[in-house]
Amino acid sequence: MVKAVKHYRPPGKKKEGNAAKFVTRSQALKQLQISLPLFRKLCILKGVTPREPKKKFKGTHQTYYHVKDVAFLHHEPLVEIHRAIRVHERKIKKAEAKKNHERATRLREKTPKPKIDRIIRQRYPRFVDALGELDDCLTMVHLFAALPASESKKIEVECVHKCRRLAHEWQAFISRTHKLRKTFVSVKGIYYQAEVEGQTITWLTPHSLQQVVSDDVDITTMLNFLQLYEPLLSFVNFRLYQSINLKYPPILDPRLEALAADLYALSRYASANTRSSVVNSEVSQAESEQAETKLKEAETGNETSELRLAQLQHQLPSNEPGALMHLVDEVTGEDEEDQDTKECKKLFKNMKFFLSREVPRESMLFVIPAFGGIVSWEGEGAPFGESDQSISHQIVDREAQGHRFLSREYIQPQWVYDCVNAQIILPTESYLVGRTPPPHLSPFINYDEEGAYIPDYAKTIQHLQAAARKEILPLPGVGKEDLEDPQNLLVEGVKDRAEANDAAQRKQKMMILEKQYHDDLKKELQGVTYTSAGSKETSTGVVQLQTGESTSNVQENVDDMGKLMLSRKKRKLLEAMEKSIKRKQAKNDLVKHRKKKIDEAQGQRS
Amino acid sequence: MKEKKKTMTKNDDEEVPFPPENLPSPSVSDYEDSSAHDGESSDSLDSQSESEFEDGSPDNGSSGDLESAENESSQDEDIVNDGDGGNESSDIHQDGAESDSSEDEVAPRNTIGDVPLKWYEDEPHIGYDIKGKKIKKKEKQDKLDSFLANVDDSKNWRKIYDEYNDEEIQLTKDEVKLVRRLLKNRAPHSDFDPYQDSVDWFKWEDAKHPLSNAPEPKRRFIPSKWEARKVVQYVRAIRKGLITFDKPKEEDGPYHLWGDDSGSTEKANHLSYIPAPKQKLPGHDESYNPPLEYIPTQEEINSYQLMFEEDRPKFIPKRFTSMRSIPAYENAMKDCFERCLDLYLCPRVRKKRLNIDPESLKPKLPSRKELKPYPITCYIEYKGHEDAVTSISVEASGQWMASGSSDGTVRVWEVETGRCLRQWEVGEAVNCVAWNPLPDIHILAVSVGQDVLLLNTCLGDEEEQKRIKELLWVDSSTASDDSGNKAPTVSWLKDDKHMGLRLRHFKTVTAVEWHRKGDYFSTVMPADILFESVLIHQLSKKLTQKLPFKLHGLAVRSTFHPSRSIFFVCTKKSVRVYDLLKTKLIKKLDTGLREASSIAVHPGGDNLIVGSKEGKMCWFDMELSSKPYKIIKCSPVDINNVIFHRSYPLFASCSDNCTAYVFHGMVYSDLNQNPLIVPLEFLRGHTSSNGRGILDCKFHPRQPWLFTAGADKLIKLYCH
Repeated sequence: MVKAVKHYRPPGKKKEGNAAKFVTRSQALKQLQISLPLFRKLCILKGVTPREPKKKFKGTHQTYYHVKDVAFLHHEPLVEIHRAIRVHERKIKKAEAKKNHERATRLREKTPKPKIDRIIRQRYPRFVDALGELDDCLTMVHLFAALPASESKKIEVECVHKCRRLAHEWQAFISRTHKLRKTFVSVKGIYYQAEVEGQTITWLTPHSLQQVVSDDVDITTMLNFLQLYEPLLSFVNFRLYQSINLKYPPILDPRLEALAADLYALSRYASANTRSSVVNSEVSQAESEQAETKLKEAETGNETSELRLAQLQHQLPSNEPGALMHLVDEVTGEDEEDQDTKECKKLFKNMKFFLSREVPRESMLFVIPAFGGIVSWEGEGAPFGESDQSISHQIVDREAQGHRFLSREYIQPQWVYDCVNAQIILPTESYLVGRTPPPHLSPFINYDEEGAYIPDYAKTIQHLQAAARKEILPLPGVGKEDLEDPQNLLVEGVKDRAEANDAAQRKQKMMILEKQYHDDLKKELQGVTYTSAGSKETSTGVVQLQTGESTSNVQENVDDMGKLMLSRKKRKLLEAMEKSIKRKQAKNDLVKHRKKKIDEAQGQRS
Repeated sequence: MKEKKKTMTKNDDEEVPFPPENLPSPSVSDYEDSSAHDGESSDSLDSQSESEFEDGSPDNGSSGDLESAENESSQDEDIVNDGDGGNESSDIHQDGAESDSSEDEVAPRNTIGDVPLKWYEDEPHIGYDIKGKKIKKKEKQDKLDSFLANVDDSKNWRKIYDEYNDEEIQLTKDEVKLVRRLLKNRAPHSDFDPYQDSVDWFKWEDAKHPLSNAPEPKRRFIPSKWEARKVVQYVRAIRKGLITFDKPKEEDGPYHLWGDDSGSTEKANHLSYIPAPKQKLPGHDESYNPPLEYIPTQEEINSYQLMFEEDRPKFIPKRFTSMRSIPAYENAMKDCFERCLDLYLCPRVRKKRLNIDPESLKPKLPSRKELKPYPITCYIEYKGHEDAVTSISVEASGQWMASGSSDGTVRVWEVETGRCLRQWEVGEAVNCVAWNPLPDIHILAVSVGQDVLLLNTCLGDEEEQKRIKELLWVDSSTASDDSGNKAPTVSWLKDDKHMGLRLRHFKTVTAVEWHRKGDYFSTVMPADILFESVLIHQLSKKLTQKLPFKLHGLAVRSTFHPSRSIFFVCTKKSVRVYDLLKTKLIKKLDTGLREASSIAVHPGGDNLIVGSKEGKMCWFDMELSSKPYKIIKCSPVDINNVIFHRSYPLFASCSDNCTAYVFHGMVYSDLNQNPLIVPLEFLRGHTSSNGRGILDCKFHPRQPWLFTAGADKLIKLYCH
């Protein structure tokens, strides 16, 4: 007798259900007839991810892909191209084995290259889609821009350079169009958040220090991703640059490039390019331009030195057709800017920054112009030197100073980031050099949530923001300069808090009183029953009990009772929710507890 | 040997200190050995080289050990040189030193040729000279002499014993140098320069005459015909397209990829595309300068070590006082890589994240205040039993309450006062007590072990008492008749001690249940299988019937329908509903429980609840389905009893965790409306003993009061 196989499918009958819809990875490999690394690469490029079938017919430890996904990979021309590449590699190997180097080099040049643009179009049919998923792309490109090129890790120099260029181009665009919204200096690097075409894009740039490529990282996977991200970012940049009427692969001042001031070079390129049109139209009313103050943004900027301009113009297609169009575009562009952008543009207006050597230059060169400030740095190629009298803020991170100018404020770099996050100019007192700056808070935290812990400094900033928005003086009869005095405001905040605390305490007292009253009432009632019951008592060993459960117990009872009537699914869900709420609460409580301890310790010290 | 070395280094005045490891010590030891061997035969053989060595050393005379017998001039005579011939030899040496080229004249000192020396080991001679005379071996010096000689001789370290020629050689300074150079792998001669400049001996420039004086050929000046032909050939091939050139590589830069956004909104494959979730944004704790309260204390950090690895926080906030002191983040690469892995290896599933108040999940229940009255607080405790109270029963009028305990007593209490009216000692643990439901028949059915006792409680007036006594009178003859007829399932006996009847079963009876009319009652013997586990007894006729159905599974409880002649038998897994008149199975209710423990029927008759040992309670609406309408998981442990109130819409369950649950269970006469179940109250108060909590609960027949019997020997009354 033939024993029926489990899941026996008679011949000629098709598979059904999950077994028909999904295949395991090894099955997919067999179908596609490609190697696993290539399959992985294709998955990365095409954005194919495993699926979670309802029933895992080959076991839970398998990875499942949808049949359609596999077919999608099967029809991909990239498979063919990669086969061709493999064949080609074999030819090269053979030529080299025969010492036919000429042929080898010729073949190497003719190696077919996979084209990614079609795939990008396929994955992101609209530009907005691409922008929406740009987070990972930007983070990766910025990371690779900071990596050391190394032969053994297969990180090529060109790759690093390209990443660097793309990252700078992106930053230049964001900075120029004032799209940057938030910044956050974390231990992991600096987070930036920008808003482009309604999409919020957050990316992380590593600190500008030597990065270590650890061995437990599979660099080929990352390079595969980079193979997608590089062209993606270049296409996005192209589109973005076109939207502000700039020629895309920007031509940079080689001198600045050599000084590694790419970002500045880019911004110069941008301003010069728009300016060239402006100059052409406004040549008749040429003003006397200051020679040295070169860097200005487009709206402030007819001050670029003629010399520099000439230098640039011989590289640039100066007399483009439709110079007037550019001008019109600029104007309309300004009109289209939303409220946020306008505000961002104004934040550091009329401020001139100077960076000392120890300050992270790239980040500052990106952030400050993005909020309308003018910035220079110590070193060659800088637009203006330290001795410029019009500098209003000098950003320093070290105490040792040579000559101190009285006309400017010496502040720590955190001030810039905090100002950007708060969208107001914060008082500089606590950020002065040599002082420990106030805590740097994450701008991504939403305080609206109930029971969220708000750090003190966040409260202060909220207070300042409110004050700035309403232009209401904190106290009548006090000048506006007091508004900038943090001590004053801090005191205000403290006062407010004290008041709030008082109110809360009063409320609590009232509550307690009320509760007591209620308890008394209850006791009275129960006392009545007690006496009435007592009269009925007999001597046969009957004891009357009064069970006055505490109110909390009753409340708990009520809660539990509701739970009794839930279906199992809902009950489990409820339990999970309660658990997560509890965890969150515990975290919050821990922070509050620590805060309390710190406060106590400070109180003891003072 | 050591001694020797020492002296050597001491006496080394003209040389650079000779490193002891460079000493040719093996050869020296060789020499000593050989000298020891052939000490007696001393052949005066000397060589030119020997003499050379000798003259290098100025104080050679003192070296007595060195046998330097010279036969330079006279080779035909055998000269046996003894130790005293040193002076002579030195003279001769000096002669020899002058004539370095006189080597040819030196007679062969050893004529044996290439023969191994071993062959001559035992011979006194070594070879023959030209005249056929034996060449005598040199006499060996004895060890002491040679040692003494060595000690005195500062040049001793330069001496080497040549075994073949059987002589001792002293190396000159130059030779020592040469040896050293060889040891250092250098060219032996110090004059040799391995890196000398190469000299191009043949100079092409400035040569007056060309190598060839031939005139330039004509072909140097005219274009090559063959080349021209080849060119033409190529040109033609190119024109014909036989040869193609590599196109110049075009850099494919970016272009306007999203030219027309409008058209292609849908994806090529029709599977739903789920974009990757964005990474979590950092909070305050990841700041380089977080508020102080976000930094864990040292103790907390230490306590992380005790955690499981997966629970341990991955990121510990740190504070840096200035931006310039932030170090590079060592995990930057790893984080990015992990994100990459997530992006292409994780299946993406759209999960609805419920952002709702957990309270909203709970069903909207009517307020408990509206559902009053229901038992809330413990009002009276009935104390008296000396062991766990297993069962209670309330009399139909609600004035009396009976309780059975495992201490073997049955008590009757007055409900309102808590007075214990009567007490019977039945001897065994009481399983169940049940009042006759008729208000005028005060009979109590008590199951004790294998018996069921029907007790007269002596309540009520004379007339009633008379009737009861009649009912409880059994003729012993009839009883014996019964036993004679067939195999007696139950025997009706008179119980004189308690003034009642005793129904003897042959298995333990766990439950007794009266019919509403008070004439019939059923008993359950769960230990028995199949037919005879449930019996129905008729009091008036003293008859016992078996249930005419086959039961599937072990019977747990049985109960009568409150208005119709329907009988419910609850087995462990299901409830079977029988029509007693038609004697057929009406319905089988599937509880889905593991082990049912109790059953109660709603006074309406269409709804029933089943309690189970896994703490679940099933509400069946028999009109609706044979599956439970609602399953309520109310306690984590066994439910011992469930009960409906006779008039109020209340039901209750009691369980082993010392809690009785009171529910509102409204059944509407409108069939379209589902019964409303609202949990009302948890009644606590009993204490656990031996892992058992409340063993039984009963409602008061008229008031919304609940009696609970606990394993802690107490009976409690909960009132509204």
